[in-house]
Amino acid sequence: MHSRLWCIPVAALVAAAILAVCLVAPTEETMGDAQRIVYIHVAMAWLALVGFLIVGAAGAMYLRGRNLLWDHWAQAAAELGWLCASLTLATGSLWAHAAWNTWWTWDPRLLTSFILWAAYSGYLLVRGSLDDPHRRARLGAVLAIVGVFDVPLVIMATRWFRGMHPTSPGMDPTMRLVLWLSVFSFTGLFVLLLAIRRRQLRQEGLLADLERQTPLEDRYAKERTCLPS
Amino acid sequence: MDYGARGAVGRHDKERYVTAKLWWMMHKDLASEWRARRVWPAMLLLGIVVALMFAVQMGLSPEQKQETVGSLLWLAIFFAGMLAMDRSFVAEREEGCWEGLLSYPVSPTAVYFAKLAVNAIALAAIQCVLIPLFVALSDVPLLERPWAMLAVAVLGNVGIAAIGTLLSGLAAGIRHGANLSVLLVLPLVIPVVLGAAEATRLGMEETLDAAWWRWCQLLGAFAVVFTTAGAVLFDFVVED
Amino acid sequence: MTEPNIAIQLRGLSKRFGRQEVLRDVHLDIPAGASVALTGANGAGKTTLLRCMASVLRPTAGEVRWFGRSAWRNPDARRLIGTVAHQSGLYPHLTLRENLVFAARMCDVPKPLRRADELLSSLGLQASADRTPAEVSQGMRQRVALARGLIHDPAILFLDEPFSGLDVAGTQWLCGLLDELHALERTVCFAVHDPDMVRRLADTVLELRSGRVEHHDVAALKPDAQAREDANLSLAGASGFNGLRCAGCGRAA
Repeated sequence: MHSRLWCIPVAALVAAAILAVCLVAPTEETMGDAQRIVYIHVAMAWLALVGFLIVGAAGAMYLRGRNLLWDHWAQAAAELGWLCASLTLATGSLWAHAAWNTWWTWDPRLLTSFILWAAYSGYLLVRGSLDDPHRRARLGAVLAIVGVFDVPLVIMATRWFRGMHPTSPGMDPTMRLVLWLSVFSFTGLFVLLLAIRRRQLRQEGLLADLERQTPLEDRYAKERTCLPS
Repeated sequence: MDYGARGAVGRHDKERYVTAKLWWMMHKDLASEWRARRVWPAMLLLGIVVALMFAVQMGLSPEQKQETVGSLLWLAIFFAGMLAMDRSFVAEREEGCWEGLLSYPVSPTAVYFAKLAVNAIALAAIQCVLIPLFVALSDVPLLERPWAMLAVAVLGNVGIAAIGTLLSGLAAGIRHGANLSVLLVLPLVIPVVLGAAEATRLGMEETLDAAWWRWCQLLGAFAVVFTTAGAVLFDFVVED
Repeated sequence: MTEPNIAIQLRGLSKRFGRQEVLRDVHLDIPAGASVALTGANGAGKTTLLRCMASVLRPTAGEVRWFGRSAWRNPDARRLIGTVAHQSGLYPHLTLRENLVFAARMCDVPKPLRRADELLSSLGLQASADRTPAEVSQGMRQRVALARGLIHDPAILFLDEPFSGLDVAGTQWLCGLLDELHALERTVCFAVHDPDMVRRLADTVLELRSGRVEHHDVAALKPDAQAREDANLSLAGASGFNGLRCAGCGRAA
């Protein structure tokens, strides 16, 4: 219920961010309007990373207490994180085309984004091939924890490898402000969607529990008694 | 039937002789493989085929070859190694041997280390075949500094074996999991493949500079982190 | 505090595979020296219960104790148990002797080579000791699998359908073995289909029906069944109809 209340301010914030990106942020000299992609790209990249940490942390908490509620957080974060990672690659690709006239290059941050996306995909594939909720949660948690330990090493490796990605573009103060607004508002959207998705998963779990407790015969028996005589 | 006195085994509280058990588990795996000759030939063949394919592509100048050979070598090592790691787990699951192994008084961590050691040996075997092969095919001075190559080979070996053993064990329990394991491991093992490739390349330069040492440290960190992670997480992987 | 002569103790044991609940809230105390048969139709959950008791399968809820020691994440406690599963658990590329020696080494048996040879000769398999499992008959494989489970002389033995695939001679041999184990006060828990075997060998019968441990009988065929019943055969209280009730002895402790 509370998520409905949050919908409005989050929507307003995201709308404000998009407007700011389109109208308020000054046009960049070399790239022109295409540079505005970076506001979305950075937000998505940040969320993909945060999402992965959430999956890992929720997985660890599941392993500790074997409470499936933690696994719902992990799954929700993984789904949203995968989306963010895909969007990071897509927006990054568009940006690369605009900046360097190529759809893909093997440079540090793009490589790291790709690895993150592949890790998410692997995680979701493993989850998808397991039916038992506890087994799924357990093996997913192991994979997620491995991934979380891996991410800093990936970042280090790719950073030391030669690359063309701009490290910190010297940004105009207005641009920086718009960037922060974008990141903040999309983070809000992410959190909202995460909460909604997690609640969905929890309700699915509860429904499954309920179905299990009522034997099939009894359910049908109850239905029959409801029919008009 | 006489099956010994009640006190045939002392009722100790601590797990004893873990090192001995590790040794015997490794011995069991290596002896089985030596007799079956199922996994290693396929693994070596894959490595050689990949190496030859790369060699065919390399109509490059010597400098360019020196740039690329490290990556190609380590990719070949990785793919061949994953084949071995996968198949060793799958082979153990037939005949119910895996469950039998877990029902012994030995902790899953010890099983992990035994598997890790065997996989590292398999990777070492691949390296012993592929490194000379690459030297012969592409004529690059890979072994110019043998000790540097050895250091990189060992660190890369342990890193790949650590994460490969854990994730192959994880995938072995999933239906059609064998297809998944390479997919799961490849993105996560990039730091090792990249690092080892770079270190190999830098090892062929005129002088060994700080960059080489930094890559070795990364490889070492990876090996340590994932051996530890594997030792802890393998407990959770084998629960059913 | 658990009484020391309760060999296997289950509390609130539940196991669920996805949507299917195979075991629900099982409470059980099996005293040392008991011979317990698990019966039920195919798919009733016998193997699952056995595997949970042998701590090979982690239950969704509840705990298992062997002689008061927690069964989970306790490798040392595994010395107390031996398991003989449906599959032989024999490495296909090692000889029978090597299989047994490996098992002995893993179970910290002193003088593993001698022990393996002892077992092989008592099984009458000395001649085939250097053959691989594929080269011997199913009956011989099963005997070796049993030897593997017994190699460290465990106090509790779990057997999953041990009679399947055995011929008459093999069945007789196995019955003799189980009698011997019973005489030596080892706790044996086995899953069987055949009611004759149940009557012949068990002094406690647990029946699983559609995944629920519904009731248990005390088999009245053994002469000292009554005496055993009056001994420490206690059943912990069960929650509702899902638990275990002692219908035969009229006690629901």
